[in-house]
Amino acid sequence: MEFASLLKELCALNGTSGDEKNVREFIIEKIKDRCEYKVDNLGNIIAFKKGVKTPKNKLMISAHMDEVGMIITSIKSDGTLTFSPVGGIDARVVIGRNVKIGDIHGVIGSKAVHNLTSAEKNKAAEFSGLYIDIGAESREEAEKLVSLGDYAYFASETLTLGDDMLCSKAIDDRFGCAVMIMLINSELEYDVTFTFVVQEEVGLRGARAAAFTVEPDFALVLEATTAADIPLASGAERCCELGKGPVVSYMDRSTIYDRELFDISKQLAAENNIPWQTKTMIAGGNDSGAIHITKGGVRTLAISIPCRYLHSPASAARLSDMENSLKLTKLMIKKVCEL
Amino acid sequence: MDLKETIKKLADCSGVSGDEDCAAELALGYLKEFTDDYFIKNKCVFGNFGKREKGKPHILLDAHIDQIGFVVTFITDDGFLKIANCGGIDRRLLLAQQVKILGRREICGVICSIPPHLEKKDDESKVPEYSDICIDIGMTKAEAEKVVSVGDKVVFLQKCEDMLGDRISGAALDDRCGVACLLRAAELLKDETLGCSYTVMFSSQEEVGERGAKIGVYDVDPDIAIAVDVSFALTSDDSELKCGKMGKGAMIGFAPTLDRELSNEMKELASKNDIPYQIEVMNDETGTNADRFSVNAGGVKAVTLSIPLKYMHTPVEVISVSDVENTAKLIAAYIKEVR
Repeated sequence: MEFASLLKELCALNGTSGDEKNVREFIIEKIKDRCEYKVDNLGNIIAFKKGVKTPKNKLMISAHMDEVGMIITSIKSDGTLTFSPVGGIDARVVIGRNVKIGDIHGVIGSKAVHNLTSAEKNKAAEFSGLYIDIGAESREEAEKLVSLGDYAYFASETLTLGDDMLCSKAIDDRFGCAVMIMLINSELEYDVTFTFVVQEEVGLRGARAAAFTVEPDFALVLEATTAADIPLASGAERCCELGKGPVVSYMDRSTIYDRELFDISKQLAAENNIPWQTKTMIAGGNDSGAIHITKGGVRTLAISIPCRYLHSPASAARLSDMENSLKLTKLMIKKVCEL
Repeated sequence: MDLKETIKKLADCSGVSGDEDCAAELALGYLKEFTDDYFIKNKCVFGNFGKREKGKPHILLDAHIDQIGFVVTFITDDGFLKIANCGGIDRRLLLAQQVKILGRREICGVICSIPPHLEKKDDESKVPEYSDICIDIGMTKAEAEKVVSVGDKVVFLQKCEDMLGDRISGAALDDRCGVACLLRAAELLKDETLGCSYTVMFSSQEEVGERGAKIGVYDVDPDIAIAVDVSFALTSDDSELKCGKMGKGAMIGFAPTLDRELSNEMKELASKNDIPYQIEVMNDETGTNADRFSVNAGGVKAVTLSIPLKYMHTPVEVISVSDVENTAKLIAAYIKEVR
């Protein structure tokens, strides 16, 4: 299994929070012969991978299957569709895009720039003013094809930029899913429970249930996190940078991470010549926020790739950072199991 | 000809103002099927039809071959590209757009944006200025300089897509659908004996001020000129007072700068031949190539026929193919009639 092509396939699947079915079925196809798995009531995949040894501490590794998307909220008399974001999306990366609702192609346009007043030209798009046009001429025509509550997805391309950069929707967090698929398809020294979880983007909800069921001692969350290493941002505002290896946070808006695990990750990276970085801002959050306070508490660390333009139709991350994150994750599995 | 496929092929080809070569060559390929007298000059495509004789009027049929886009102005030390616009583009929809850079070879990129997690208060309400816009191509400066030069053009990365009915979306339908319309008109006229001669011109640099039209019409020196362009089709967020309706046929221009007799003649011909049409009233210049045609040499009778188009100058322009067909029919009816 080749990592980059696996990740591209995963990113191309549409699966926002509450609509993870396509992603789940794809993953099950890839892991079913290599582990024992079950799907819980929320739609999480809980996969137990037998290792050579059973560790003293139970380890759970988790990534979320869902991506940000949109949900149809009404059909207007002229056949256009109103919608709301599912997860945190800036409306400025939604205006002027192609979308898919199932197989139906739609566009999110705006009245021509020629007809905008000068005030309108300088007023950013808001979801309340945006709508999807599928080419229907009336509500009746649109209703035959679209139902309220249907999900809409960015229809962008999956690209390779330069030698090493992948540009696609949904790298957050199909990256984590891809790493877990690779690990399940490899031989592991210790038993690990992998959870492919739902509904991260709407409040870390799948992970909450999965961690309750698995009841681990330790958890590693695999994620894609916000990098802003672009000309618009300088110094600490860049948060983390592409090409500088896995990102391990000490704290974000959801979690204060286990300090020992944080230090171990840094040390392991240094000993094994793996680049390692931490974030220079306290921002964002991930499933660790739900997992680390499950039951009596779970010692948790997140290993993330730095990713630009997160939650847009065109996020961008480097394959070299992904490889290094996979390496660091393998080292952490061994170390945590031996703690 | 398969009109829809022709429109899609033309619109999927790149030709930003000043760099129309690729689109011009493609259009010339189609035009060759209808005349042996063709050439490209100043990036404008010309095809002559019928013998030009004294006492017979000579008609210019024009559509512009260029499209809006961007031009690379600078490569930063980090390998990002700074750009300026070619033609009027809505800055509100630029963030996180995928683009294609027409460098020494074509490469892809994404317009930088800051993710919502790292935005400061009010960032989401801001519309970027061009000075804030840069393109990420996943390369270092040294790598970038091997493929990109200042002055290279940039287009939205976009392919035409089928929508419901006969509608299609795409990035350069303005004015490649006009180009296809004239090819279709030439096809409709191919076996006719005419009381006039005519030249089809696909003109360059319309989007930056109708410059190709100005020098092209000088060479052609017609008696009468018809500019086929696109105009605003009503969208959910615009006013009926400013827009035509999609699917209701060509918008026949009425304006102080257009020849009123010619406008009326178009209207009457449409009625007589049961071709749907609508009236577009403008109170000044039309913003189309007709403005240049009318003041060529000692003066030319000019009219604009517009194909209704939604979301003009965005990557997701929408047209109805029937409007292109009906505009072609109207032009063919006129050419057959004029003596």
